[in-house]
Amino acid sequence: MNNVKIKSKNLNVYYGEKQALFDVNLDLNEKEVTALIGPSGCGKSTFIRCINRMNDVIDICKVSGNIEIDGVEINDKNLDVVSLRERVGMVFQKPNPFPKSIYDNISYGPKIHGKGETKSELDEIVENSLKKAALWEEVKDRLDEPGTGLSGGQQQRLCIARAISVNPEVILMDEPCSALDPIATAKIEELIDELKKTYTIVIVTHSMAQAVRVSQKTGFFHLGKLIEVGKTEKIFKNPDNKMTQDYITGRFG
Amino acid sequence: MNFVLIFLITIFSLSLFFYGRSKTKSISIEKNIKLNALPKFYGYYLVLWCSIPSLVFLLIWTLFEPVIIKSIIIETAANQGAIFNDKNEANLIYEKIKAIYAGTYFGDIDTILKESALSYAKFINLFTNSKIVLIFGIVIASVIYSLKKIKKNNKARDDVEVILKGLLFASSLIAILTTLGIIFSLLFESIKFFSVINIFDYLFGTNWSPQRAFVSDASAITAAEYDELKDAFGFIPLIAGTSFIAFIAMLVAVPIGLFSGIYMAEYASVKIRRISKPIIEILAGIPTVVYGFFAALTVGPFFRQIGENLGLTVSSESALAAGLIMGIMIIPYVSSLSDDVINSVPQSLRDGSYAVGATKSETIKKVVIPAALPGIIGSVLLAVSRAIGETMIVVMAAGLAANLTINPLESTTTITTQIVMILVGDQEFDSPKTQSAFALGLTLFIATLVLNYIAQRAVKKYREKYD
Repeated sequence: MNNVKIKSKNLNVYYGEKQALFDVNLDLNEKEVTALIGPSGCGKSTFIRCINRMNDVIDICKVSGNIEIDGVEINDKNLDVVSLRERVGMVFQKPNPFPKSIYDNISYGPKIHGKGETKSELDEIVENSLKKAALWEEVKDRLDEPGTGLSGGQQQRLCIARAISVNPEVILMDEPCSALDPIATAKIEELIDELKKTYTIVIVTHSMAQAVRVSQKTGFFHLGKLIEVGKTEKIFKNPDNKMTQDYITGRFG
Repeated sequence: MNFVLIFLITIFSLSLFFYGRSKTKSISIEKNIKLNALPKFYGYYLVLWCSIPSLVFLLIWTLFEPVIIKSIIIETAANQGAIFNDKNEANLIYEKIKAIYAGTYFGDIDTILKESALSYAKFINLFTNSKIVLIFGIVIASVIYSLKKIKKNNKARDDVEVILKGLLFASSLIAILTTLGIIFSLLFESIKFFSVINIFDYLFGTNWSPQRAFVSDASAITAAEYDELKDAFGFIPLIAGTSFIAFIAMLVAVPIGLFSGIYMAEYASVKIRRISKPIIEILAGIPTVVYGFFAALTVGPFFRQIGENLGLTVSSESALAAGLIMGIMIIPYVSSLSDDVINSVPQSLRDGSYAVGATKSETIKKVVIPAALPGIIGSVLLAVSRAIGETMIVVMAAGLAANLTINPLESTTTITTQIVMILVGDQEFDSPKTQSAFALGLTLFIATLVLNYIAQRAVKKYREKYD
């Protein structure tokens, strides 16, 4: 069992009047993949967006409770969001490369954080990020072509490379394969397996099979509550909760 | 008379609607047949058949009646011994006859005029009566035809669709034909102008002073006269003045408009946006003549005052004042359009940028604006074409003298101003001076057309990328 990297305590989230998360207490382990499953609208995405404070972007969203990364409270008004997001990267449901060249897509983050001051340093960051995202071989000869011209799966790996480029500790993935075909999905899953050696990964997924394949730990959300969490093997073979059982066997959701 | 007819046709058609609807309903119940369309479609069918042919006929008749009567009357007058040497005199006599008929003629009436007026009255009567008879004939014929069709349980729904499609087509045809008509009239008058003044002398001449252009006989211009003439119609000072004022206007409108667009799209809360957006858009609703006198009476003198205090000579009609006010007028175009394009940059791009730790302004500068750039360029180009076509402000505030200058404190003139100056007041329509207005209009039209085309291409290309 690895160390706990992220710890949420009594986390509540409100969108205006509507409460989206109820007292979520969840520990995420370092250098492990944690999968979050549950029916649509159950709060999985809301939860991971708390970890890099992406919910700040939404005006009506209010977060109360605690989230700690390495024991430091991040749900704190005085926290520097920029450096938090440098540590916690995110990959979205739909690939969202910037309408810039592949190179500029990757170098965007490092430049913002003042990394890679010389061209060669920057080149190195770009190359390493793309290599880690298993995209280097496919794009090394066309780094100046627009990132939007890649295929869906390549675009998503480009977005993963973009997240890696600032050298984060945690990568949040919000249904990263939902817009991809099975082959691209397999590649991303392979990549996740590789990435977990270096990063703590949290993945939201609708695919039970994917959760089983990639994760070591699984949390099941329903109607904004964390119903059950445990080793992936246990959750899928022998869950404690009846609702979890029903969901993974496809009786509702 | 015509209004009464139109009124009657309308009333009759409407009553046919109810008749057709209830009749078909009762038939279908009585004979227990399934109708090919809803009863109301049979109603529409009758209405359209009753009204369209008769109204079209009425329209055509009304257009041609005066022409036909006129030619008949002039001919009868000639037969009776009236003498006229050319078309104008014939027209004069015809007008006299009409005045006599209307009882507003106070000159002497000789026998020829009297006879002609009597026959005019006769023909008017005849035409009016036959018009009424024919229209009733058409109404009755088309109603009988359509009723017969209805009895056969025709596919009224499809027929109504066809007729409506025809109506809509006719409407768009009118719009297109009008545009073509305007273009052709511009073109023909310009060709007349260019047959006098060489097109290259016009395009590259550096002196514009059409008031000097006196030609005694346009068909026989001597070489010396032509040298004088071509010196009066040089386009360069006008395009320079127009571009210069538009440039000043863009210097004002682009930064302010773009920044307020960015503020509206990215920073303003819903509440602020709801209040401030309409206020900015009110700027676009202010009549340009109001801007014009603001520029001419307030801003122009203000600049001159400041200039005097600084020891500069500032003309009270200056390119600066006109350009500045024009820029203010254009702000809402730029801000509103760029607000729209910035808003349609997908949120996912912003999220992607925030997720690597970019701040809001970094995200806007490096992701949102580049993504929206084609659309923003499009909106700026639309604003430019608005600026070069703007008339009232420059007429009032920019001046009339065609100075070839880049000093914003001097007065300059624009294409639109010159068109106004040339066409205001009494004009003879075959002088090069008047025709030059059409040439200017054509040039302006082509310039704005090209700009609009490029702008729309840019905006479209941008839309394709994200839809």
